[in-house]
Amino acid sequence: MSQASVADIVFEVIKSRRVSRVFTGEPVADESLAKLVNAARWASSAGNRHVHKFFITRDPRKIALVRSFSPGLLSEPPALIFVLTDHEVAARERLQDGDDANVVDVGTAAQNMMTMAQALGLGTCPVTSFSKSGVGAVLGLPPSLTPELMLMVGHPRPVERVLGANAPRPVTAKELTYWEEAGKHEPA
Amino acid sequence: MPDATAPERSAVLTEEQALQLIAFLTSAAEISIHEPTYYGTFRLTDAASRLIGFMLEHDPPRTGAFLRKLKTELDTKKVWMMWDREAYFDFLRATPAQVAVEVKRLADEDRASRSGAES
Repeated sequence: MSQASVADIVFEVIKSRRVSRVFTGEPVADESLAKLVNAARWASSAGNRHVHKFFITRDPRKIALVRSFSPGLLSEPPALIFVLTDHEVAARERLQDGDDANVVDVGTAAQNMMTMAQALGLGTCPVTSFSKSGVGAVLGLPPSLTPELMLMVGHPRPVERVLGANAPRPVTAKELTYWEEAGKHEPA
Repeated sequence: MPDATAPERSAVLTEEQALQLIAFLTSAAEISIHEPTYYGTFRLTDAASRLIGFMLEHDPPRTGAFLRKLKTELDTKKVWMMWDREAYFDFLRATPAQVAVEVKRLADEDRASRSGAES
C-alpha cells in the first residue's frame, strides 16, 4: 500500500471519530481492549519516562460505583480504561508536580486509544470530570496511583443529535491555524 | 412515629441510592473548583435527573408521570450545553416554572384532602 493510501486511511479514521456516550449492551472483547492499551503504550511519552499505567474494568458493579463519583460519566459503558499516574515512576524520573508534559502524555495516550477504537468500530468518550480521590478509592488503587482520565469504551448506539438554530458551525483547520504570524491564516 | 403510609411520607429513595447521590454531589462540588463556572448548571441538572431516575424506580404514584416527562426533557436538553448554550440557558430558565406547577398541584391536592378529612 502506498504511503498516500495509508495517510488517507489514517485521516479517515481520525476524521470520522465522534464522542460516543451511549452504547449497546454488547461487551467489548478483551482482545480489543488489549489493542487499545497497546496503542496507548506506543503514544509519545516525554523523555520516554512512561509514568502512566492503564487500568481496565468491565465489571458493571464497579463501573456503576465509579459513575457515582464521576459527574462527567453520563452513562455506564461496557468497559472503562483509566490512565493512571504512577507516582513511584514519577518520583524516580524526578517529575515535578504541574509538569505539563505529564498532562500531554495522558492526552496522547487517550488519543491513540480513541483512534484505535475508531478503527476497530468501537466508540469512546474521554472523561476527566470525576473525583480522583473517590474513583481511586472505588478502584482500590494504592496511594502511588492516581487516575487522570477515564475512557468510556463500547459499541456505539447511534444517537440523533438535535441542533438548535444557535448551534455553532464546525470550525475549520484554516480558522485554527496561523502561518508564520498570529492572525495570518494562509501560508503564502 | 410518622405515618409511613401517608403519601407525603412514602419512600422515594433507598439508603444506597441516597448515598450514590451524595457521592455524585460531593464529587461535583470537588470538580467545580477547577471546571468552567457554567458546568455547575450542568452538574445540578444532571443531579436532578439522577434523583428522578432513583425515584422512578420506586414508581411514585403521585408524581410519576410528571417526573418521567421531566427526566426525558432534562436528559435531552442538558447536553445542549455542549453545542447550543443559549438554547440550554433558555431551557434552564424555563424548567423551574414547570416544577413549580407540579409542586403547587401536589400542595393543592394535599390541602383539599386535609380539608375533606376535617369536614
